[in-house]
Formats: sequence, structure tokens, C-alpha cells
Amino acid sequence: MNLKKDVCVIGGGVMGLATAYYLLKSGKTVALLEKGEVGNGASSSCDDMILLQSKKPGIVLTLAMESLEMFKGLSDELGADIGFLTLGGMIIIEDEKQLKIMEDFVKKQVSYGLDVEIVGRDVLFKKQPHVARYMIASTYSPTDSQVNPMLLMRAFLRRGIDMGMDLFRYTPVEEISKSGDHWKVMGGNDVSVECDSIVIAAGAWSGQIGQLLGIDIPIRPIKGQIAITEQIAPIGETNCWTAAYIASKHDPSILPYKSEFDREIGLGFSFSRASEGNYLIGSTRENAGFDKTTNFKAISRILEQTRQYFPIMNKVNIIRTIAGFRPGTKDGSPIIGDIDGYPGLFIAAGHEGDGIALSPVTGKIVAEMVCGTGEHKRVEELNLRRFSNN
Amino acid sequence: MHDELICRCEEVSREEIEKAIEDGAVTTNEVKRFTRAGMGLCQGRTCRRLVERILSEKTGIPLSEIQPSTYRQPVRPVRSDLIREHKENKSEGEVNDE
Repeated sequence: MNLKKDVCVIGGGVMGLATAYYLLKSGKTVALLEKGEVGNGASSSCDDMILLQSKKPGIVLTLAMESLEMFKGLSDELGADIGFLTLGGMIIIEDEKQLKIMEDFVKKQVSYGLDVEIVGRDVLFKKQPHVARYMIASTYSPTDSQVNPMLLMRAFLRRGIDMGMDLFRYTPVEEISKSGDHWKVMGGNDVSVECDSIVIAAGAWSGQIGQLLGIDIPIRPIKGQIAITEQIAPIGETNCWTAAYIASKHDPSILPYKSEFDREIGLGFSFSRASEGNYLIGSTRENAGFDKTTNFKAISRILEQTRQYFPIMNKVNIIRTIAGFRPGTKDGSPIIGDIDGYPGLFIAAGHEGDGIALSPVTGKIVAEMVCGTGEHKRVEELNLRRFSNN
Repeated sequence: MHDELICRCEEVSREEIEKAIEDGAVTTNEVKRFTRAGMGLCQGRTCRRLVERILSEKTGIPLSEIQPSTYRQPVRPVRSDLIREHKENKSEGEVNDE
């Protein structure tokens, strides 16, 4: 089957679906090619946080704040429940050293306009009555929110189909070529799409798409394992992370891991209650290639930490474990923008653990770039070319 | 019969599953993701076959071509404090989730 479309989006996760939606909304015709099913990659193997506090102060935090504003109206815009909820978030602090790090981090975030502060034990224990008593402080931001990634994808998919999107599942991209002034994308199952523009939104697999064109897209899979509990009542007012998690995300050298094994798996702690009542407890940041197995030893460490930080979780039932590949870049920021020397080719990938939170704003920005109406300058520091000089 | 419960763990009705299919789900995993049918305590032990049948009826895909949704460890609920490394028995169980 050969189709003629304005744009071919590669990747049927939240990023591809969001980008397709904003393109369609701008009047473009879109084909979306997905190598498996909708949401097979990181988009359905993650928690549901729109966590502003974990974002690097700078353009990523600014985009996350914009995305949050978009989320507030997105349910109405898409005409579907997406499980959006604002409960705030806390990063719990175990000792003076962590407190120092978090004070600096919070100060930087506040300078970018984020509503976040350090609170003492009284506020911490009031909001988190079950947190371990040795904690000395916490951060608190009332703006941290959550959204159900599955419902979000479903809503983008539904609206996309309504606006005429052609979606091909089990259609891995095999070849991309230039023919005349347009692109030709050849997929499996004899699907080919002739288009003016291509958006690579293939998450951890984006590097493989780049290879088809001889472009180096330095995105690697970072495996994250998560344990999921049965549905229980909330045990605190907000979801929680640890300062060690924030440090490991931005600069692992600041805080030493407790063991060689913890370092190897990049152990962190994230503790969030999904809208249905299951707690999603993570996580790891592993270099494990595309091995999607969950591992008893890593899950044991995740749960050991959970029992240490929240002793009440001792007796809760674990009903499932999952692993996903977060698309990671060397500097921890996503790659968004056009690609030098390949007019019409764009990329929206490498969001690591921030993909759900950043999907609306990324989709919108990339759609504007494709339409030629976007302000490329604003997100220039996220362009792929930042890696070409190294 | 549209209010019949298909997934008892997550209380998902036939109507909700049909709606997810109308919204664009065409595989069992997509139905699971969009409705939570099969995401509960029993991991679809009861509703798997029913979901596959509804999917086949609604989409016209022959039942024989519908792939089962993913199974994940642990296959039944396990108490958190039992998931730990036991010092006297140091075997490291590798758990596959695909």
C-alpha cells in the first residue's frame, strides 16, 4: 500500500501520538508507523507523573511547566478522561548532606518560576504520616500532577483517527529515501508513505531509525524496573521521591550509592499512587540493552527501600513488576527539532523519564516546526546538533 | 446484556471494552491498556478469553489470529516483605516478564 501524506510519524507511543494529533489539528495529513502495538515501549511501562520537581532547571523545566498548563485543558480538548490530577509532590530528605543539595536545587527551580519549597519535619509528617521517622526534611511543590499514560494515548489515538490519521501497527520502518523533493518511508507489510516531512518519535529505538539514514542519534535504552502494588487507600497526601533519586538523575557523583549493586542498577526511589489506587514503586536506571526482563534482585532492592522509607508498606501485596526502556541522552535532555542537512526531517525523542509529562508541549512544538510556524530558536539547545561537536 | 462485567478484578464491563475498540484498540494489549481489563489481581485469568472473543467479534479479526496479552511476574500477588534476598539461600531467581 502506498500513501501520500504531508507527514509520516514514526513511533506509536505517547510522543508520536501527541505529535500526530497536533499536526492533524494544524491541518496536516498524517500516517503513523508503529513497529508493534500502540504504547509498546516506555509509554505503558512507566508511572503517571507530571513531576516538575525532578526537571532540570532550564529549558526542560520551562517546557514541563508549559506542558502542565496544557494538561489542565487537555481532557476537555480531547473529549476524554485522561486521569489528570494535581496532588503535589514531595522529595524526602534523609540527612544534612542531601538537604544541602536539595536547597541548592530548589533555589534554582524557584528562579525558573516553579512553586517549590523546603519544609520541615512537622509539615512532612503531617502530609506523610507513614514516612520513616528519621527523615529530616522534605521538599514540597503543590503543582506536581499526574496523568494516566494509557488514557492519554487512547485520547490522542481516538482524536487522531477521527481527524483521518492512518495508523499502521506491526510496521517497522525498513528504509527511508529521498525521492525528488519528498521523502519515502518504506515499512514492513508493504506499507510505504510518500511525505513532505518525517517525525522520528521512536523513543529508545530512535537511534535505529537514524541509522537507516546514516544519522547518529545518540539515544540509548535506560531500563527502569517498577513494582506495582494492589489497590490501597492513599497513605499520604502526595507522591514521593528521594533526594538520592533526584541526584542520581542529574549527577550521580553527588551522592554515593549504598552498594556497588545499587550503583550498577542506578537505584532510585519513586513512589506514586496511580488514579486507580495501585502504588507504582521504582525504579532503576540500567544499561541493559533491550533486555526487558524484570529481575528479582533489583525488585528486592526497590522493595527493601520502600520498607525502609515507608514501613507500613511491609504487608502490601505486589501484583506485578514491569520494565520499560526510557530513551536516554548523554545530557539527560530530550532531542527536539529539525536535523541539519535533512530538510523535512524532525525528531521528538530522548525524553527519558519525562516523556509523558512533556508529550503535549513536545508534540505542539514539533508540529509547529513542521508547519513552519514554530519558533525554532526557543528550543535550539535541544536540537540534535548539540551532540555533533563532541 | 451491555452491563455484564468482563473483568471482575477491575470491574470492566463489556460496554467499556467495546468503547475502547471503537476508540481504536485492535489488540488485546491495547484493550488492556485502555480499559484495565486484565490488569488486576488475577492478571486476566478469567477475562482473557472473553476479551479476545469481544475483540474478534467487533473487529472481524479471526479468534485464531488474536494474540494473548502479556503475562507479568509475579503471576499471583506476593507480600512485599517476602520479596527479599534470603541469606541462607542465595540463588538469584531471574524473572522473565515477557
